[in-house]
Amino acid sequence: MKTVVDNLRREAARLLAGDEVKMVIGYAAGTDAARTTPCFATTPEQAALLTWGPLCANNLVKYLLDYRFEDTRLAVVVKGCDSRAVNRLLQDLQFPRQRLVVLGVPCGGQLDRASILSEIPPGARLQDIEDTGEDLVLVTDKGRLSFPKDRFLMDKCYRCETNMPVVADFLAGEPVPSPAREGFEHTAEVDGMEALDIADKSSFWDNEFSRCLRCTACRNACPACSCKECVFEQAVPGWQQSGIIGSKVNSLPENAVFHLIRMFHVTGRCVDCGECERVCPVGIPLRLLYRKVLKDARILYGAGTPGMSTETVSPLSEFRPDDPEEFM
Amino acid sequence: MSNKTITRDQLATLLDRLVEKNRVIAPVSDNRGVVRFGEIQKAGDIAWGFDQAKVPAKSHFLPQTEELYRYDTSGGELKIEPVPPPRPAVIFGLHPCDLKAVAALDPVFDGAFKDVYYLNKRERTVIIGLSCRKVLPTCFCRSYGIEPTDGQGADLMLTEAGDGYYVEILTPKGEALIRDNAPLFSDAGVAEGRRAKDALAGELAGQFQLNVDLTGVKAKVDTMFEHPYWQELARKCLGCGICTYLCPTCHCFDIIESHSGHRGCRLRCWDSCMFADFTLHTSSHNPRSTKKERVRNRFLHKLSYHDERYGLAGCVGCGRCIAECPVNIDITQIIADIEEVD
Repeated sequence: MKTVVDNLRREAARLLAGDEVKMVIGYAAGTDAARTTPCFATTPEQAALLTWGPLCANNLVKYLLDYRFEDTRLAVVVKGCDSRAVNRLLQDLQFPRQRLVVLGVPCGGQLDRASILSEIPPGARLQDIEDTGEDLVLVTDKGRLSFPKDRFLMDKCYRCETNMPVVADFLAGEPVPSPAREGFEHTAEVDGMEALDIADKSSFWDNEFSRCLRCTACRNACPACSCKECVFEQAVPGWQQSGIIGSKVNSLPENAVFHLIRMFHVTGRCVDCGECERVCPVGIPLRLLYRKVLKDARILYGAGTPGMSTETVSPLSEFRPDDPEEFM
Repeated sequence: MSNKTITRDQLATLLDRLVEKNRVIAPVSDNRGVVRFGEIQKAGDIAWGFDQAKVPAKSHFLPQTEELYRYDTSGGELKIEPVPPPRPAVIFGLHPCDLKAVAALDPVFDGAFKDVYYLNKRERTVIIGLSCRKVLPTCFCRSYGIEPTDGQGADLMLTEAGDGYYVEILTPKGEALIRDNAPLFSDAGVAEGRRAKDALAGELAGQFQLNVDLTGVKAKVDTMFEHPYWQELARKCLGCGICTYLCPTCHCFDIIESHSGHRGCRLRCWDSCMFADFTLHTSSHNPRSTKKERVRNRFLHKLSYHDERYGLAGCVGCGRCIAECPVNIDITQIIADIEEVD
C-alpha cells in the first residue's frame, strides 16, 4: 500500500508541476480513523496529501461532472468499480477523454465503515494501515485494530467484478487479489426478492421507501446521474408542484416514485459502484433495486455491467432500425 | 415542588397512561436500527438504550411534510378548511443537545411573525429530557457550553439513577404532569439521585474526544465571506440534504400545493440550502448558483447568522452531520480551519 501511495503522490506531483492537469482528485486522510475524505490537489505540494487504502470507498468519478463545462484537464483516482463510471461518462460524452487523466489503483477491498466504527476507540488517530493478507490492520495511536477481510469488507467487495481499473492512464501499483468471495453470487439476493410474492415484495419496499428522508444523497453520489437538471428538481412554482413528479412531499407514494423512476433512469448506466447504498443515511438497500435492473438487462439484452469498456453500447442507448419495438 | 424519582416500571406505566390522552413521541427504532422520534402506542415501542436519535426531535415540531390547510373550489366558491389544532403531546427522550436545539428554533417561529403551526405544537407539548448515558465520538456539545446532563429547555429532566430515574421538575408544565400522575413518582432516593446525576456529569465530561475552541470564530468567519476557503471546501460537497435534514436546528422549508380537481391542500415541506434549486429565482437567476455559495451559507448560518439574529448558537454540537456526511465534511474541522486560515 505504501508503494502505491508513493507512486500516486509522485505521479500527481509530476502532473501538477508540469501543468499537465490543473487538479488531481483523490483521497486524503479523514477526520476519524475509519475514513478518508475526497481531496482536490491543485499544487505539487498538495499531492503529498493524497493517500490510498481500504478506507477509500467514495467514487470520485462523480466530481468530474462539476468540471465538465470548464476547459481544464483533470486527473482522478479510481478503483476497479469506480473506473466503470469513467467509461460510462466518456460514452455519454459527459467528459472529454483528452481532458482526463485516469490514475488507477489496485483495490483489495474496502472496509465497511459501519462495521468497523464500533471497534475503533473514540478519538483514535490513524497512523498506518497494514495488509497481512488475511487481515487489514488499522494502526492507531490507541492500538492496533485487526479486521479480518472475510468479515469487515463492504458487501459489494465480496461480489467484486473488477478490482483492477478497466481504464487507466497510470497504474499506481501491481495487481492485487480480488476481494470477491465464493458464495456471494452476483444475483443471489435479487433472485430471492424475485421469488417473493407480490404482496411480500410490496410490503418490503413500502417499508424501505417510507423510511426515506428524501435527502437525495443517493442521486447526488451516483455517477450515472449526470443530468444538469434532474427530473425531480424541475423549476416549477409551488402551486403547480402536484403536476410534476417528485415534489418535496415526503410520503410513501412520492418516495416510491422517486426511487422507482431513478431505478429506470439508471438502467444501462448504473455501474454497480454501490455509492447510493453507502451514502444512504437510513440504510435503504438501494443496490438491490439496481442489481435487479442489471440482471434484467443481462437476461433481456445480454448486457454486461455497464462501463466495462467504452465499446459496448448500453442497451437502452442503442438505436437499431430492426428494433422489434416499432415506435423506436 | 421538589424533585422526585421514578422507577423504570413506573416510567413505563406513566408513558402508557400518557398515550391515552396525548400523542406520545419518543425515540423508536426501525427494522434497520435507525432511531428517530416517532409516535408510540405503548412504552414498549421505545428504543430504550438508544444513544442518539439519528433524525432529531425537530420532526415533531416541524414535520417533514405538514398540511397547512385544505381548500375546495367546487361550486365556484372557495372554501378553506383549516387543519384542526394538534392534540396535546408529550415528547420523551431529548438529550441536552436536542433540548438546546428546540430552544434555538423557538425564536425563529416565535419572532415578529408568529408561526401558529409550530407554536401550537410547542405550547401543547410537554418535553421530557433525558441525560446522556455516554458520549459518542462525534459529540462536541460541551464546546457549546452544554453538559450531557443539562436539563435546560425541558419541562422534566430524567437521569438514570440506580434502577430508576432521578426527575428534575423544571417548569410549571412539568409540575402539572407530575401532579396529574403523582402516585407514580416518589420522594424516596432523591438525594441519591442528585448524587448519581452529579457523578454521571463528571464521568461524561471526561469522555469527550472532540473539543473545539469557539473563541473568536464568529468574528473571524464574519470577515471571510469572500475567502477562497469556501471554494476549496465546497469541492467535495455532493449537495445532498443529509446535514440539513439531520441537523436539529436547520429549519428551512418550502410551501407547495397538492391538488386534484377542485380540492387540494397546501403543504409545508422541509427544504435544504444545500439543494441547487433552493434559491432559484423565477427569472432563472440563482444568487447561490454554485456549491461554494451554498456551503458557505450553511456554515455562516451555523457559526454566525443564527447567533446574530437570535443571540443563540446555530449549532449545538450534536455531531449528526459529522457522523453522516458521506464525504467527511466535518464542522469541527471547519471551525479549526477558520481559526487557521489567513
